[in-house]
Amino acid sequence: MLFNSIAFLLFFPIVCLLYFCISAAQIRIRNLFLLVASYYFYMNWEPAYALLLLTSTIVTYLAALGIGHFEEKRKKKFCLVSSLVLNLTILFLFKYYNFLAANIETAFNACGLGIDIPEFSLLLPVGISFYTFQALGYSIDVYRGTTKVERDFPTYALFVSFFPQLVAGPIERSNNLLPQFKQKHSFDYDSVMAGVRLMVWGYFMKLVLADRCGLYVDTIFNNVDKHNGGSYLVASLLFPFQIYGDFAGYSLIAIGVARVLGFRLMENFHRPYFASTVGEFWHRWHISLSTWFKDYVYIPLGGNRVSRMRNYFNLFVTFVVSGIWHGANWTFLCWGSLHGLLLCIEKALGVSKQKYTGVRKFYHWMMTFVLVCFAWILFRANNLSEAVTVITGIFINPGTPKPEYANFIAIGLALAVLLTKEFADEYQWKIRVAESKSWFVRHVYLIMMIAYIILFGVLGGDQFIYFQF
Amino acid sequence: MKKLLASILFVAVGLFAVDRLGGMIMWWVNQHTHDVSGPKIKYLVNDVHEDVLLMGTSRCNLHYVPSIISDSLGLSVYNGGIDASNNIYAHYLMLNHILAVHKPKVICLEVMANDFQEEADPFNTVTFFAPYFGINEGADSIFRMAGQYWKYRISHLYRYNAKAASNLAGLAINRHKGGDNGYIPSPQPAHYPSYLEHENTPENVDSLKLKYVQKFIHLCHENEIKLVFMVSPMYTEIDDDYYDVLKGIATQNEIPFLDYHKEGLYHDHPDYFKDPNHLWDRGARLYSSVFASDLKRILKQEGII
Repeated sequence: MLFNSIAFLLFFPIVCLLYFCISAAQIRIRNLFLLVASYYFYMNWEPAYALLLLTSTIVTYLAALGIGHFEEKRKKKFCLVSSLVLNLTILFLFKYYNFLAANIETAFNACGLGIDIPEFSLLLPVGISFYTFQALGYSIDVYRGTTKVERDFPTYALFVSFFPQLVAGPIERSNNLLPQFKQKHSFDYDSVMAGVRLMVWGYFMKLVLADRCGLYVDTIFNNVDKHNGGSYLVASLLFPFQIYGDFAGYSLIAIGVARVLGFRLMENFHRPYFASTVGEFWHRWHISLSTWFKDYVYIPLGGNRVSRMRNYFNLFVTFVVSGIWHGANWTFLCWGSLHGLLLCIEKALGVSKQKYTGVRKFYHWMMTFVLVCFAWILFRANNLSEAVTVITGIFINPGTPKPEYANFIAIGLALAVLLTKEFADEYQWKIRVAESKSWFVRHVYLIMMIAYIILFGVLGGDQFIYFQF
Repeated sequence: MKKLLASILFVAVGLFAVDRLGGMIMWWVNQHTHDVSGPKIKYLVNDVHEDVLLMGTSRCNLHYVPSIISDSLGLSVYNGGIDASNNIYAHYLMLNHILAVHKPKVICLEVMANDFQEEADPFNTVTFFAPYFGINEGADSIFRMAGQYWKYRISHLYRYNAKAASNLAGLAINRHKGGDNGYIPSPQPAHYPSYLEHENTPENVDSLKLKYVQKFIHLCHENEIKLVFMVSPMYTEIDDDYYDVLKGIATQNEIPFLDYHKEGLYHDHPDYFKDPNHLWDRGARLYSSVFASDLKRILKQEGII
């Protein structure tokens, strides 16, 4: 079920109503109800894939019980490794097998050895990378002793499948979310309204900004051979806002939905395009994933408490893995590698430790924005050859961009609204609208934003980009 | 809970008021815009009075020069082709609006594969006509089929969703300059297109669309309008039987079917095309002369001129 579907707009109020009808003291019944609602939410895509979600849940649940049960480190490790292997095998089969098989075939064919590896023809289950990582994070935390073993299966199953963040994050940590399922969540008016405001802003980012940018970006990137460098440039400048609006919008809706129900999910985006270094960008972009990789990949590799060269290696490898996490395509691998490389360069030059102000800050912000936009071309292009066409086209074959006046006006308006809000938040302006102290202003804001979405939103029910990951 | 109910009530009432006020403002914008299709739809719904009306999608809009056809026929001609109107549902919707104000002598419908083959979302572009929701029962029946009827009933603002940005842009930029009774010349492209690969005859015929082709024909017959189907040039190769489904219906209903695509008109002239499906102004002018002469012959035979 998509957040931007009529089905969800019916589903969510019904879930809220029933949830708050159950007494707050009946925590277990409320959790069971949310678990059923979450599986219903997920099964709206493809009921059979709920079995994979359940498998991942059972495997990590049993592994954690084993880790908690055994005293010997060797046995604990066996439980953890079993959980990692089983979960990552499922992820590999659905997400990476065909990619690897196709590349092996190509490599063998290039050597004159024609081989035919059978394809795995099932579609990628929605959100598999997200819930797998969340469940694995729990297994590792239990092994490390940073979180307690959850013995109540329904509560743990709800932690893995909690519908607001099930399919595209934020990838929650067990020590943040699990304890919340054991707390009493009484109906709280302020919480509900704050959640609704977050949802409305998320819908604005997705439907008005991201999907509007997507109309132009998709036209250009899906027909690269039919356009010139001018169009590539405009599309490359719009895509960063498309993916930001799409993903941050989803995260905000997820956080808002959870907030209405009384839960607090972690912040996933913190105005990433205000970053002055690529390192800072990664502290602001997809925070739940970047901290996941930091805690479970970068630090186990040795983090920065190693030699300088080894530190660069750790950083680079972490970002290569992060790139692959996004999808089985060379474009994602190159995108991750480029970010890894940029971070190593920043570290070598000592840029990441500097605090810039004034013109120097503007210069570094500009450089970071250009580099991040450049890297997004690799991320968005359908394949590496098209990415090269786009990049070379921008420099070699500039021309008048494909004019889409109507879209440009709508995007310009949406960007103006977005940037005003982001500047207000970043520089803590005193004038607040969404969070105004005045009841009237807060409600007029809601009315105007909903009307804006109705008028300018792309309301065709498009998928969120990150669902494919 | 009382506070929440007060909030819900305030937002609901406020939204209703903003929706209705916004709907009025957007109606004004829609009536004064100079975007590509807004003024044309407005003209067709309110003021059309020409003897010969050309209908269809962008392939109609960009291919038929009314002044050339009018000179040849001695009748007034209007090009009512609407960009991206996509298929027979939009044409049927528009025909209902037109017949409420005027009965042309001749309607020439530019047909294409979308008029008979299945599509994933065949109603996606009827939303263009939503500003005129609620004024014509026949036209509204298409919105009902598209699942938009109640959305448009509830929200006046939503009726402008498909074209809000375009309508607003049209207040600032006049995109109707140089128009010739509905025809807006397409400029010479930077590159001429390459010949498109062979297209097979669509096998997935949509019976509902054929029913609406028949309803379109029926409405024309009922109003004693001479109907002509045509397929203008494309820079592609297709199967010989590509349009046989529509040709069968045309034969049954004694409707002339002018197939310039099959005739291979301009297949040796990429320089007349802006892309494989559309002629640019030079190609359109040459094609309009050919079409005008064929249409003249048909109308003479029928005793209309």
